[in-house]
Amino acid sequence: MSVSSLASFEYLEGLPGTTFRRLYLQPSTALAIFRRMLPHLDLELWVHPNSKSFDHALTLPRQPTEALSLLSRLHIVHITARTRDEPQVVSLTKAFGSSLRLALTGGGDHQSFGVPSNDSTTADVDLNFLDDYAQMQWEGILHFVVSSAGEGMRQGGQGPTAAVKQLLESGHLVTRARHSGGGITQAGFSFLLQEANAQVWTLLLLWIKNAKEMEMDSVDVLSFLFMLGSLELGRAYSTTTLTASQKQMITYLVDFGLVYIPPSTKNQFFPTRLATTLTSDATALRSVAAGFNAAHTNASAMKGFIIIETNYRLYAYTTSPLQIAVLSLFTKLTTRYPNMVSGRITRESIYRAISHGITSDQVISYLSTHAHPQLLKASAAHGGGPVLPPTVVDQIRLWQIENERMKATSGFLFLEFESQKEYDACAKYADEIGVLVWRSDPKRMFFVSRVEQLRDYIKSRKIK
Amino acid sequence: MPRAIRGVLVECDPSIKSIIVKIDSEEHAFIVEDLDDQTLVIKENMLAVLKMRLDEALKETQQPPSDSGSD
Repeated sequence: MSVSSLASFEYLEGLPGTTFRRLYLQPSTALAIFRRMLPHLDLELWVHPNSKSFDHALTLPRQPTEALSLLSRLHIVHITARTRDEPQVVSLTKAFGSSLRLALTGGGDHQSFGVPSNDSTTADVDLNFLDDYAQMQWEGILHFVVSSAGEGMRQGGQGPTAAVKQLLESGHLVTRARHSGGGITQAGFSFLLQEANAQVWTLLLLWIKNAKEMEMDSVDVLSFLFMLGSLELGRAYSTTTLTASQKQMITYLVDFGLVYIPPSTKNQFFPTRLATTLTSDATALRSVAAGFNAAHTNASAMKGFIIIETNYRLYAYTTSPLQIAVLSLFTKLTTRYPNMVSGRITRESIYRAISHGITSDQVISYLSTHAHPQLLKASAAHGGGPVLPPTVVDQIRLWQIENERMKATSGFLFLEFESQKEYDACAKYADEIGVLVWRSDPKRMFFVSRVEQLRDYIKSRKIK
Repeated sequence: MPRAIRGVLVECDPSIKSIIVKIDSEEHAFIVEDLDDQTLVIKENMLAVLKMRLDEALKETQQPPSDSGSD
């Protein structure tokens, strides 16, 4: 599962049931959630021979699996509690079922997939233009995050708008208080190293969480985003059918580079590639980069540019201040030439990165996704070996392990069970729904990462 | 009825655990439950502080090996 979908799911799972009922009123939302999670789930549930129609209840042959528990957290299915007389029954929730059916059959008059504008389109808005625009806006935001770390990196050009800056600050990606080495925070570093699509989601989730302060309804925002995800790239949509709050939102989305509104025709908007790939699965993430690549064949920013040798020396063929700033987060850069920078990956530079919250895996994945074509060629010549020198990769991991003295998991400790039988049943249930982290049978204690379902289970045991 | 306590499960080496116990013995501000040699539950809001204190304690006892080779 990609990072971005993880983040968006975690947010969704935390929402109350009433929010979901309102969300699923929009067919586009139901379809988007369905599309996003489909690759990760047991398809058996959807194509089970008994489930001829979507909300046909099917009996569970075995204990609820982790996938089912995720579905129930997203309020897609409803699982009845197990009783002595009746087996457990899983059924699709009404709201989700009917909306998904509407979305798949294309019926209804809900306008939840946007209304194409009938006005004549502006001639100069084509795919290349939209890609350029989206990238310019997005890099502006990234620049702001990076340049808040080091003075002197600050660019003269236009940064993101004040609203975006404020959002980044309230999300603790950057901070104005200049303690502990500058304005960028731990979350900001992790944000930088993510893929573009994951970054978009991170920022959007921040935005949704702040929606209340900006007097917007988070449900409205979410369903609007899911609608954007179902729009077609390069097509003009009409703003006249949008609700007042959606019109308010769209100004923010313009700041993010998700939407473009031509200055000449204010009643049209164009979703950019950042918006239309929002609800696609992991493979579409790469197509964002690929799409940008196609648009910028001469831009080195998106191509591989990093060469790393077995002696930890690193050469990066880039002139982009953004890329250099990112590299300097975990590399000791020593020399800058007109077309490249060189430096070394050292124990200290990795320590510094780790102390800011960047993991070794993030560093390694950043290096390998941006590896220079020469490195790729060399690995292909050796029969598809690793792209990065294995010694360097291992050492970066070892440096991290050296510093990771403990593994921390937040959650709940359960103890003081009345009987062995009760303990066994609860621990078994916790294990089955995939929340059990640690258990000690002699002490009759266990630790779980999530408590909601287990609490319901313990209650339902009491009732019997 | 079983009891549930909110906290952070910390899994670490026995040596690290004994340092954590030592840090906690000063003001008992961290540990909620001492589970076994390699696991304990600490207060959720104290994790960052504990990490800092642990790093300090380790710095006193360890000499980081210097990097070999130069630029």
